[in-house]
Amino acid sequence: MNDYVPSLHGALAVWQRDLRVFSKVWKGALLPQFVDPLFYLVAMGFGLGTYLATIQGIPYREFIAPGLVASSVMWAASFETTWNVYFKMEESRLYDAVLSTPVEVQDLVSGEVAWAATRALVYGTSFLGIVTIFGLVKSPWALCMPVFLALGGACFAMLGMTFTSLTPRMELYSYYYTLFITPLFLFSGIFYPLDKLPDWATVVAWFTPLYHLVEISRSLILHPDAWTVLGNALWIAVLTGVLFGIPVNRMRRRLVA
Amino acid sequence: MSVAVEARGLSKRYGQIVAADSIDFTVREGECFGFLGPNGAGKTTTMKMIYGLAAMEHGELRVLGLDARTQRREVKSRIGVVPQEENLDRELTVRENLEMQALYHGIRDEERVDELLELALLSTRAGDRPQALSGGMKRRLLIARALVNSPRLVVLDEPTTGLDPQARLAVWDLLDRMKREGVTLILTTHYMEEAQRICDRLVIMDGGRIVAEGSPPELLERFEQESLEDVFLEITGRSLRE
Repeated sequence: MNDYVPSLHGALAVWQRDLRVFSKVWKGALLPQFVDPLFYLVAMGFGLGTYLATIQGIPYREFIAPGLVASSVMWAASFETTWNVYFKMEESRLYDAVLSTPVEVQDLVSGEVAWAATRALVYGTSFLGIVTIFGLVKSPWALCMPVFLALGGACFAMLGMTFTSLTPRMELYSYYYTLFITPLFLFSGIFYPLDKLPDWATVVAWFTPLYHLVEISRSLILHPDAWTVLGNALWIAVLTGVLFGIPVNRMRRRLVA
Repeated sequence: MSVAVEARGLSKRYGQIVAADSIDFTVREGECFGFLGPNGAGKTTTMKMIYGLAAMEHGELRVLGLDARTQRREVKSRIGVVPQEENLDRELTVRENLEMQALYHGIRDEERVDELLELALLSTRAGDRPQALSGGMKRRLLIARALVNSPRLVVLDEPTTGLDPQARLAVWDLLDRMKREGVTLILTTHYMEEAQRICDRLVIMDGGRIVAEGSPPELLERFEQESLEDVFLEITGRSLRE
């Protein structure tokens, strides 16, 4: 049990290390990940959207903007906890050094997840700003978004950590992205609503985290509904909490053999 | 004299390979204690069990009076670790490496960082990334990093392996200083002359077992040999560097 309870101070130190590194590179790092959802917004929203009438009574670009905000969080948290964490675990062996101090594996996992969530929050909020400038935000409740972007970031960070703790080789990340992250991006209701699809598609979507984050985001930005937001947030929080033990257990086996 | 580290029946296997086979040893406070042996003898595993990066299977291990199995955090906050493989933070500067180490230990002490930069002769390189340093400088930075929390016990895994003679002298100088300040040192090496020069007492390991124990002069006398190299050959029938 003791092996799973993180120390706040240890997790915070891990988080601070990442913050310090990010503070050196943020100018260069922020731009590319920013441009990515922006291209989708322009190509799909302003390109394809011009040929479409409305979806559920909402102009197409307004329909996809909240989903793209949610997806920017997914991508940011995933990059951070896949390649970046793997590098520190297996290549630079930085974690060996960290774990030789009073910091323990559960602090390491908590700190890295907290950091990835922070980074995702920075990207998601910045993109939300752009979406606002385009005039695609319809509700003042969008101001609550950062809380849920951080939560969603933590969830995708935990998923990334889980895969990282299990993968024997760096090459297998291409499977993680091709078979998991990219399908989530395409099939979580960002670009079209799921209610007209066969039932099984909706059921599958319900089991994926991005679907719930998109629901929260669309609700807060377009037509706020407390139960939609809280119900989906609970789903995400539960998954994040349930997963925690896996990366802690697996990374301990890898790093403290 | 009080005891810094005490191991009884310490065992550890990696699959079929026995890394530590029921080993016993006692390190006294303030001494420099060496683990000598060829690659694969179990030295690194033993060090890792002391600093909590290898889980022990059987046996008892007490470090500075603490149980190494159940009090890992406490053990790690009181000791310093110099690993065999360089694992500095490549994304931070030399100074930041020391500052972060302090943070991991929950300390904030800029003066200590300055002091250690000076001790490691790295004051002028404080703003560089570790990648820009020579092998000797990296090793000195690793040692400085291990001293951030002012430990009373420092574990060094092959502190001079791969260094040129001059860089090795600089490391020995650091070790001498620590010893003078009363810090207990535990180190592994496969250089006989190193063990002979700096260790007060040592054990010789082979195949996960401790095959001999004593001070360098005692061992030479007991096995009637000229050097520790010959002692090793006498005990195991093999040369140390095969």
